[in-house]
Amino acid sequence: MAELANLARGAGDARARPFIRRDMLIAILFVLPGLALAILFKLVPLVRTIWLSLQETRGFEDPTFAGLANYRAMVADPAVADSFRNALIAFATLPIWIVLPLVLAFLLFQKTPGWKFFRAAFFLPYMIAPIVVGIMFRQILAPDGPLNAVLRAIGLAPLAIEWLNGPTSALLALTAVALWSFFGLGVLTYLSGLSTVSEEVVEAAKLDGAGFWQLLFHIIMPLLKSVIGYWAVLCTSGILIWMFPLIYALTKGGPGTATVLPEFLVFTTTFQFMDRGKGAAIGMALFVFVAIVSAFVVRRMYVEGSKPR
Amino acid sequence: MKSSAPAPQVTISSVRIALTRWLVTSVLVVLAVVTLYPLIFTVINSLKSRADFAADPLGFVTDITFDNYIETFQRMQVGRLLVNSIITTAGGLVLSTVAALFIAYAVTKLKIRGGNYIFLFIIAMLVIPSQVIIYPLYETILDLGFGGTYQGLIFAYAAFGLPLGTYLLSAYFRAIPDELIEAARLDGAGDIRILFSILLPISIPAIAALSILNFVWMWNDLLLPLVIMGGSDKKTLMVGVALLSGQYDVSIPLISAGLIVALLPVILVYMLFQRQILSGAIAGAVR
Repeated sequence: MAELANLARGAGDARARPFIRRDMLIAILFVLPGLALAILFKLVPLVRTIWLSLQETRGFEDPTFAGLANYRAMVADPAVADSFRNALIAFATLPIWIVLPLVLAFLLFQKTPGWKFFRAAFFLPYMIAPIVVGIMFRQILAPDGPLNAVLRAIGLAPLAIEWLNGPTSALLALTAVALWSFFGLGVLTYLSGLSTVSEEVVEAAKLDGAGFWQLLFHIIMPLLKSVIGYWAVLCTSGILIWMFPLIYALTKGGPGTATVLPEFLVFTTTFQFMDRGKGAAIGMALFVFVAIVSAFVVRRMYVEGSKPR
Repeated sequence: MKSSAPAPQVTISSVRIALTRWLVTSVLVVLAVVTLYPLIFTVINSLKSRADFAADPLGFVTDITFDNYIETFQRMQVGRLLVNSIITTAGGLVLSTVAALFIAYAVTKLKIRGGNYIFLFIIAMLVIPSQVIIYPLYETILDLGFGGTYQGLIFAYAAFGLPLGTYLLSAYFRAIPDELIEAARLDGAGDIRILFSILLPISIPAIAALSILNFVWMWNDLLLPLVIMGGSDKKTLMVGVALLSGQYDVSIPLISAGLIVALLPVILVYMLFQRQILSGAIAGAVR
């Protein structure tokens, strides 16, 4: 068998050698369109962002080299600090992002009646454009909207506040809407992880008298460690880069800077205040965090997708 | 006393099981209501007249009217926006899939040195989100002469969809045995022929899954079309919806109708391809 493989490889080499230059040419032609797209529309803009962050730009005037002035201005700007503080507050809700879909996935995994319907229903919000989600929820969260009507009806009138007008409640509402929009993806992620868990393990634990939460925390969670990690990474990068349309539709960053997240600040600094240099500097600060987080995703994809050696 | 213990215990535990069932189902139902209600609410509002909505903003619709939908087509020019969205989404989808097909073939089936590095380079582009590079990306598109054209947005979509496409198609191609390609080569087939008349037909499931994922995010994206096309008459439906909802004289029933028009194509795709979407969505979360 091994001999045969060697023979085959030898034959392949012999065939390939005379044509090596032609092979190379074809390979180059094949990777060229994709490389051009990646370089022109991702790498070049990134390099230009770095360059732009070192420029002094005011309005429509020609930019001039400014060294690290934009970064100094960024560090001194309370709005920037606010935006990263808001992101930190949003990160504090991560346990809910991670546990809620896990609990739901585990319930569906046990083939609760109607689990297929629930799975489809839970995933539906993820299919809807975030900008549409945001505009819909502006109506739902309005002072006289359905949410407050329900709260008043069930005797929780004091909770029926102007959700998008208080600094804390606005950030909370924004995060909750984002969770509404993305939790279905988490349910699916966990379901795909659970499909590798054998039913016998679950049944055996049940026979030993393990309750739902015991089962979840002591049996399922250790088995799904890598899936949970993957989802946690996705949520972390999501809080940094999924929120723009939601902020745009719900609060435009307000009240004050209460719901400004870094990605939104890049947009307003660049396009509203026309300070492109500082916008680029804030973008680079955001990039550092996003790159660290999504490097985990890329590593996972590379390990799975690269040629085995 | 002790000997009779098992019997009542069985009933207690079966009651407990029934109760748990109930509890679980009601929790799931409440959550399903929470996920579906905003959509139903929007549909209902879109079918109300302005006066009906003012009189009873939260109630069910009494006189169904389609005036709001007609008005979206007149005032928002939804027809034009739909065409723009279809052209840019279709263009981005096709271009990124074709580019990904070529790269995936090159790094999996051609014996080239550094194939893995090219693969890594392409998927590493995932770490660059559009938000970070948005202004220089816009500048680059202007410099290339694509300002205010469909091509600008199509190229941007294609570039942002490329890492996922390369990853999915490479994984699929790797599972296809090399012997198949060697046999075709012995028959005198060139690489283009092998890629398009042998690998492509086998890969239809992967391409379908990829296309659905790309369709959803390209159709739904806001930032790229807002910045690249925002000022022109080639803006997409999502940009139109975003800009419309910012105007103060626009009634909620009218906005609701615009939202429904904007999300209807995605809902249709979801209903038609639910199985593929539910099985492929996890890979699609990154771009």
